[in-house]
Amino acid sequence: MAGRPVLRGLVTEGLRFRVVDAKGQVVGRLASQIAKVLTGKDKPTYLPHVDGGDAVVVVNAAQVDFTGRKWDQKLYRWHTGYPGGLKERTARDQLAREPEAVLQKAVMGMLPKNNMRRAMARKLRIFAGPEHGLEGKVELVPLDMPPRALRVKGPVLELEEGFEPFNPEAYYKRFGHRLAAAKAGQ
Amino acid sequence: RKEVLDLTKGFRGSSSKLYRTAQQRTIKALTNSYKDRKIKKREFVKIWVSRINAAVRLSGLNYSNFQNQLKTSKILLNRKICSQIALQDKESFDKLLDFIKI
Repeated sequence: MAGRPVLRGLVTEGLRFRVVDAKGQVVGRLASQIAKVLTGKDKPTYLPHVDGGDAVVVVNAAQVDFTGRKWDQKLYRWHTGYPGGLKERTARDQLAREPEAVLQKAVMGMLPKNNMRRAMARKLRIFAGPEHGLEGKVELVPLDMPPRALRVKGPVLELEEGFEPFNPEAYYKRFGHRLAAAKAGQ
Repeated sequence: RKEVLDLTKGFRGSSSKLYRTAQQRTIKALTNSYKDRKIKKREFVKIWVSRINAAVRLSGLNYSNFQNQLKTSKILLNRKICSQIALQDKESFDKLLDFIKI
């Protein structure tokens, strides 16, 4: 997490800083890619006992997305230590209270649970808004997310010629990805 | 007796001084080193695989497809060499990839 100043606690200027825009990205998929970069697994110089990963700067973290009904169903749970102190909070509330934590927890869960975990986590800086305080201070390299391969779920619908739905907007939203024409063009 | 106590130089506390405990510790230490000589070979393969995976993904492949194409083109290089090539000699590695893809 960022303190002020942003770069506090980082060692060695041999680091590359990769920037990601989290707007509209799915949390888990983004987090897994970030964790990969933080551990250094995208470099052919990977060594498991050495922290050779890049630093990652995430921007617009308040605009990440969950698929399905996770905004209402996913619960963040923790115990306060006192009896009867199991607390929980939905993902939507977590985003409202502390938006950076959503992505932060996701990435922490994906880093290897060893002594290097904290050092790796320190290289991750998450910003809820569109600005990060690093312009001009370090050289920034963009982090490209691999394209998302969405699976067509459900049978492909073959429609007759001249079929017009009554409510095109709702229809295409619900069935658009399953139409034969869409699948052929995929 | 002397053999055992010589083996335990550097062990903590009474394990390097008293014969009975030293005996136990040496047995443990020798079994561990026997096992680990075998495990060491596995550990290195893991590192080579991760490195090859990383290097190959830069060119749009992944490790499993890379291995498949390697086998079908009958190249018998093992992982150790592949990872070293990827590390030190990028041009040759690229040529290897081109050779395999065809």
